[in-house]
Amino acid sequence: MSKAHEHDNRSDISLRVKAVESLLIEKGLLDPAAIDKLVDAYEHKIGPHNGARVVARAWSDPSYKQRLLKDGTAAIAELGFTGIQGEDMVVVENTSGVHNMVVCTLCSCYPWPTLGLPPNWYKAAPYRSRAVIDPRGVIEEFGLKIPESTEVRVWDSNAELRYLVLPERPAGTEGLDEAALAKLVTRDSMIGVGLPLSPDRGTE
Amino acid sequence: MPTMFAAAGVDDLIKTGGSCRVNADIKAHFVPGDKIVARNINPVSHTRLPQYVRGKHGTVERDHGVFVFPDTNAVLKGERPQHVYSVMFTARELWGPQAPEKDKVYIDLWDDYMDPAG
Amino acid sequence: MNGIHDLGGRHGMGPIDIDPEQPIFHADWERRMFGMFILAFAGGHFNIDQFRAAIEKMKPAEYLESDYYEHWLYSLETWCKANGSLTDEEIENRMRKLSKGAV
Repeated sequence: MSKAHEHDNRSDISLRVKAVESLLIEKGLLDPAAIDKLVDAYEHKIGPHNGARVVARAWSDPSYKQRLLKDGTAAIAELGFTGIQGEDMVVVENTSGVHNMVVCTLCSCYPWPTLGLPPNWYKAAPYRSRAVIDPRGVIEEFGLKIPESTEVRVWDSNAELRYLVLPERPAGTEGLDEAALAKLVTRDSMIGVGLPLSPDRGTE
Repeated sequence: MPTMFAAAGVDDLIKTGGSCRVNADIKAHFVPGDKIVARNINPVSHTRLPQYVRGKHGTVERDHGVFVFPDTNAVLKGERPQHVYSVMFTARELWGPQAPEKDKVYIDLWDDYMDPAG
Repeated sequence: MNGIHDLGGRHGMGPIDIDPEQPIFHADWERRMFGMFILAFAGGHFNIDQFRAAIEKMKPAEYLESDYYEHWLYSLETWCKANGSLTDEEIENRMRKLSKGAV
């Protein structure tokens, strides 16, 4: 697509959205203040820091971890992270022998209450097409090499279950409290394209 | 006819969402451990059975419970609630012998997407 | 349907654009579109399956080349036109007015 055409499309889409919004408001079908509230919630309040708390709790409390793996919805609700696109949750655990990764090949399904809104790459064709057929190659593009001896499990979120990866607790974190543990949990580690941070260097 | 959803309801909407789970006593056709084959259906209307799984052999891992069936719900032909299962397919089953031996793909399949396999 | 959205296992879709610093919304129109979809859903314009079904009917090239939230606009328009809430003519007229700064 030429740059000029791209620009036309960009300003066109913005204008078209404005047009649709203003028409729906005039017809009494849309409350613009409601849009403001939704945007504020998902831009500033709901995000991967929620999921990080779930992971940190699971790392700290073995009985919570058991509940989380058995019934993700109920256990995540214990921390208050419920609602749109997280109504039915499944949590899958990374171990020394298993690495999990989540995708939605058909659209962009993602656990909003625990991770917020998905990054563009998750919703776009390259990731959606390759994650199921070449997960190791995809994960390597994110900078992580999975050993051959590890089993990779890809979860395609094609129904209304939403998936969250419970990463392995990093070494050298004994004695850290939940708040400190939560700081090590990255969004990408809960999707399964990365690992949590290590405590000493603050890097993977 | 559609109505206007007011700002006052947004906080509650966010926290409650809209689950597609159906509270109905519907018989499950499969149990964990069952060997299945995904149906080779090619509807021109909406389905959540991706092409890469059709006709492939998998194993039922978990019964998620009863949910609305998207194929009929998308065209307002009813919710047709039924069980949804987490089904495991080996990478080699899906992609051929060159795929890593250990790897697996898990996908959620409705009763209507599966037949029992030997 | 066996549409272009059914991407699992396809080759040739290009490199993954990881873009680590990306914002949640890249432009204001994305914010508005995000909110409009949720409210239209909550207001009963469509169920979630109808919403997805409409996106799947986009022209394949447009589906692949457009921004993500354009898919949502396409679906919202599909359903608003189907239930009589909007027409193409109204939308285009409004766009003309807005671009002249008249509204």
